[in-house]
Amino acid sequence: MADKMVDKMDIDAVNGEKEEVKVGPAPNLPAERIIINNFNLINQAVDAFDARFTLRALRSIATIRKADNFAEAIAVGIKTAFPKPRDNARRVLEDMLPERVRTAPGAGSEANGNAKEQDIAEIAEVWAYLGVLIQVYLYDHQEYKKGANFSTNFVEKVRSFNRRTMDAIGAKAYFYFSLFHENLDPKPPSKQSPVIGIRPSLLAALRSAVIRKDAETQAAATVLLLRNYISTADITQDDLLVAQTQFPTSAANNQVCRYLYHLGRIRAIQLAYTDAHDHLESATRKSPTTGPAVGFYQQSTKLLIVVELLMGDIPSRSLFRQPSLEAALHPYFKLVQAVRVGDLQAFLKCTGTYEPQFRQDGTYTLILRLRQNVIKTGVRMLSLSYSRISLRDICTRLGVSSEESAEYITAKAIRDGVIEASLDHQNGHLVTVPAKDAYSTTEPSEAFHARIEALLGMRDECVMAMRYPMNKHRQEIAEAAKARERERELAKEIVEGDAEGDDGDDGGFEGM
Amino acid sequence: MAENEVKQIASKLESLRGSQLSSQAPPLLSRAKLALLRLNALVPSEETHKSHLHLATTILELGALISIRLRDTESFTRYYQQLQPFYAIEGSAWSRSHAQSNQSKVTGLYLLLLLSVGDYAGFHTVLEGLEMSAGNEKLEKDQFIQYPVRLEQALMEGSYDKVWGETKGEHLPSDEYAVFSEVLINTIRSEIASCSERAYPSLPIANAKNLLFLDSEGAVVQFAQSRGWVAKDGRIYFPQQEEEMLAAEKDVMSASGMVIENTLGYARKLETIV
Repeated sequence: MADKMVDKMDIDAVNGEKEEVKVGPAPNLPAERIIINNFNLINQAVDAFDARFTLRALRSIATIRKADNFAEAIAVGIKTAFPKPRDNARRVLEDMLPERVRTAPGAGSEANGNAKEQDIAEIAEVWAYLGVLIQVYLYDHQEYKKGANFSTNFVEKVRSFNRRTMDAIGAKAYFYFSLFHENLDPKPPSKQSPVIGIRPSLLAALRSAVIRKDAETQAAATVLLLRNYISTADITQDDLLVAQTQFPTSAANNQVCRYLYHLGRIRAIQLAYTDAHDHLESATRKSPTTGPAVGFYQQSTKLLIVVELLMGDIPSRSLFRQPSLEAALHPYFKLVQAVRVGDLQAFLKCTGTYEPQFRQDGTYTLILRLRQNVIKTGVRMLSLSYSRISLRDICTRLGVSSEESAEYITAKAIRDGVIEASLDHQNGHLVTVPAKDAYSTTEPSEAFHARIEALLGMRDECVMAMRYPMNKHRQEIAEAAKARERERELAKEIVEGDAEGDDGDDGGFEGM
Repeated sequence: MAENEVKQIASKLESLRGSQLSSQAPPLLSRAKLALLRLNALVPSEETHKSHLHLATTILELGALISIRLRDTESFTRYYQQLQPFYAIEGSAWSRSHAQSNQSKVTGLYLLLLLSVGDYAGFHTVLEGLEMSAGNEKLEKDQFIQYPVRLEQALMEGSYDKVWGETKGEHLPSDEYAVFSEVLINTIRSEIASCSERAYPSLPIANAKNLLFLDSEGAVVQFAQSRGWVAKDGRIYFPQQEEEMLAAEKDVMSASGMVIENTLGYARKLETIV
């Protein structure tokens, strides 16, 4: 405890004047200042046992990684936190930085003063935070091999600490751990990729996270495993993982987004389009629509569009008009146009032209499945426009090879409820049954129900997503206890006062 | 020792023909697998010798193909699963070229099996994996894989005449695929039947014969009876439609129940919100 105090004061001494910038480091601060400020935040998190301070420290990574002197800043940070040059923890971290940065005279020397007996365990969070910074640095400089080696040891170490205040940092560490391995050759679709090798350690992380009720790492590990399996197309394992694990309800919003996206993807491949649609819709709604995460938004929207088409729906035009999506979704816009009018030729042309793009997005196989939807839409268009049409005409309009095929296709469309019609085999005609009034069916009520259901679901999620400050109820209890105390005192005073008053009265009476 | 034994069994298995297959192949295969176990090669590991890998794959592939010929789909599935770890090892790692192996043949057969039992989700899952690992060009040239892919497309579209055409001898990429033709024809026949019930008010028997790919009008009448259709005056009438009308009426009844339930649900939810 005393050590911790020393440690805290130490850092306070370094940046005592910066105390007021605790809420989000201002962008104009030099990177090393921000890092050192963040030590403070992390210490606060450890003291108050409140993960929000740690999250705030982690959030600033996005700002400092852009700084020119990022490496130097880390070196300064390391020197500040671990003043002893022969410290083992310090060496592990410094080995990862380039030579010139390591030997440069650090500004951290001023902090060397009275921090001789610092215990590693006491500042494990600071150490882990610096480790994450190193990971970010190595990733930005594309030193994947080095990063992968460092991360493998790093995550093991983080896992062995078993401290709840480290959960948020640990989750980040696993994220980079997996990212490094993904960038090693051979890259994922190959069955020899190093990502397969990290599965055991991710599974181990998931296991320990569940046992320790560490929701942050649990969410991160689940998402990383899902991504890992999808990258090598092991959809079956993915499905099993989802079936066997529970996703923590308290996970951060961005992890939930990723989880839903992966889940939507698995379900789409398994042809469970309704499920896939639900998951992807939530994922796109929850994801940020601007800023650096716009790529995720685009990607999940692409998948959502394809799934919607597969379900037989047409995405609304306004989706393609959003400024952040317009350019990225252009191929999909063309695709939707082809499917909407049921034009098989345009559809084939579109898939041909944009094949590389679709492949890159991982939607190509799903798009190939759309062929039957295009035909169905075509049949529906024809049946809506003509009350009676010969099979030969259908054959030429749809671009189907033979009249027999056309007959079977329309028969299937009738059975699947795509069109209301009947076939006249002898004359080779398709006769459309006049459309019934939609309001005499249960359709309006079903549509109504679907909407209400979606809105109620959203409300429930919002209620669950609300955050309450930790230990608030304890404060309230304490206040209530205090209030009771005061009441009791008041009552006592009144009783005493009464007694005094009585005396007075008596006295008065006596006096009379 | 064990290595020679496996080799002998492999050559013996390849020479087996016709009726010998069902009696002799299974015991030979189990002996081969035992020998492989002794070589520690039934499940590949990093230490497994390259030549042993070859042997194991050969035996397992033979086993898979023989199971298909014997129409034992369960054992085929087992062989297919056992082969997966071998296929996951990259070809160059143990100098095994794509051409000489039966990998795509076995995979194609597995796809066809999934298709014939109607497991479309499984079919697409396997296909997705192939697309990811093999790459497009290789897959498009691979007739063993393209065959089930074409069939699936035709089935989903509803071009049943194409499926019928594909199941004919000359289109099959190898004899093992013929095993599934019968199953597939039965599948499309029942599909066509259920479509016809909805699409046609009635159908002349002669036309039904062509539509259902049956050989004679007698067979049509028999098929019609098995599905509960009425055949009279040279035409087939589909009684299901009337039943459906009744069912639709019942639907309305159950729908009102649904409406009440939903409305009560809304009320309850509203109460929690307000």
